[in-house]
Amino acid sequence: MEWVKKLENKLSLEYIKQELLRTAFSTEKSFFTQLDPRILLAWYSYFAIVPWFIYEHVTLVGYLLFMILLTIIARVSPLILTVLSIGLAGEILLLGFIALFFGGDLSIVAPMFWLSIKLAVISLASVTVFSSINPEKFSDALLRFGVPAQFSFSVAYAYRILPTLLEEFQQIILSYRLRGLAPSKNGVLYFRKIYYYIMILIKSFYPLILNSAKRSRTTVEALEIKGFSYAAKDKRVLKMKTSYLQTSQMDWLFLLLTVCYVVIVHGLQLIF
Amino acid sequence: MLKKPATFTQSQKMMIFILSMSLYGLSNMFTELIPSVQLGPIELQIDCFAFIPLALCMLFHPFYAAIGAATGEIIFGELMLGQFGGIGEIEKFILFSIGMIVGGLVVRNPKKKAQVALGAILGYGLFLVLSTIVDILKIVIGVEEFEAVPGLAESIFIVEGVEFLTDFLLTGTLFTVLPALYLVPRLYGKVEPLLGLKPRTAANFRVSDVITLKFISVSALLSLGALGIALLSELDFNLGSWEPEFVDTYGNGVIWGVIGVAILCVCITLWLMMKKGKENSHDLS
Repeated sequence: MEWVKKLENKLSLEYIKQELLRTAFSTEKSFFTQLDPRILLAWYSYFAIVPWFIYEHVTLVGYLLFMILLTIIARVSPLILTVLSIGLAGEILLLGFIALFFGGDLSIVAPMFWLSIKLAVISLASVTVFSSINPEKFSDALLRFGVPAQFSFSVAYAYRILPTLLEEFQQIILSYRLRGLAPSKNGVLYFRKIYYYIMILIKSFYPLILNSAKRSRTTVEALEIKGFSYAAKDKRVLKMKTSYLQTSQMDWLFLLLTVCYVVIVHGLQLIF
Repeated sequence: MLKKPATFTQSQKMMIFILSMSLYGLSNMFTELIPSVQLGPIELQIDCFAFIPLALCMLFHPFYAAIGAATGEIIFGELMLGQFGGIGEIEKFILFSIGMIVGGLVVRNPKKKAQVALGAILGYGLFLVLSTIVDILKIVIGVEEFEAVPGLAESIFIVEGVEFLTDFLLTGTLFTVLPALYLVPRLYGKVEPLLGLKPRTAANFRVSDVITLKFISVSALLSLGALGIALLSELDFNLGSWEPEFVDTYGNGVIWGVIGVAILCVCITLWLMMKKGKENSHDLS
């Protein structure tokens, strides 16, 4: 039962809180952080859609190599990469086993393997872009693309409110635990303990919903005092707000590089 | 008795949106982190705390609560943790919102437990059914000659079916129906005044206020778009196998020429980027 103790340590609220804050607020400086978010989003939309319709192996491998190189440059956190690769490998293995079970043979694995490469290209592209994009810049780029102001406000708001929310959630759970009586026995497979914690978790949303309702009213009233919903519709305000977004030479060089690389890969595909 | 339908001002809609977004987003961060338990091929994991958006959809305007929750998931659960799935998230956004809206519409009187339970099951169940269908479709599109591989179709259906059942039984009961039954009647009449709203009654809540003509047309357009993408791939629309005619006329030499020029361009671009990068780092120091 050593691992249960370990898990209990890992699952302590304080640990989760710190882990969440660390992941949410740390953006490492890399090559991609200096690029314009609009260029990055346009670049990403190519690599998120086009690979779905490519079935040629040479092209897929070429795309994958490019993505791996970019992931290294972007310094994506190893934790995310591990989660990604375990998920991809696990899916193939599981499907292979089930296919064998049904009397098929391992020929099922080959098409699934190419599908996984396709998925890997797409997910690496998104990891590279979204782990190095600054949330504030991202929301402004969305504003510029015509996404409703409510959404881009939410991105910024979420980053501001997260520490407060976590703090409050922790306080509520702690007070429930102080007042309640924890089960003395663990029960079969820790059933009693798990049941007890789940009950606390659900109950603690009751005060949390009431408190958040008050807070969201305050927030919206404060926004309206500053004329948020009128400003959101005004084109001039939008222009003023996002005027700092400017493409540099680096952005166009990056796009040019990508275009050339894609041309090379598709050219090789035609030859082989 | 007030017969007037409940009206929502712009800022009340925004309040509902923000409330739903921050609460569901917070819960989503936890479900992303809670590890799953593997029992052989069956994976037990908490999919989401669907009771939060469902409870809010039952108490407030379902549309804004549902959209807020779906937005919260994208921002808290994906963007902040650095695992945004890109375009794939849009499909989840739409499906999740549809499920939650339907769940919220079923409930006319939040004090009646039977209605709340029905709404919770319907809402979450609809979302699960839709997302299972989309998952299967995705593999059918992504794998070439899907029907030709023996055993593939069966195993996909088994995997997706098992996932659907475990999600529905575990998350559906423990984290959807039971908490909704606990929370909704308790919150009813308490949380609405905090946002300056009247509690929902059968008299002031009409389905036609939510399902407007605009809503129907937008959702019809969205589903048409999704169908279009699915059809596009059925038509063997294949970007990689584009073979232009000039290859036949001039042979592979032309392609080698194009590749050569492209490589030259890559080299020049890389050189320029390095130069520029050095200048930038000088500026910073």
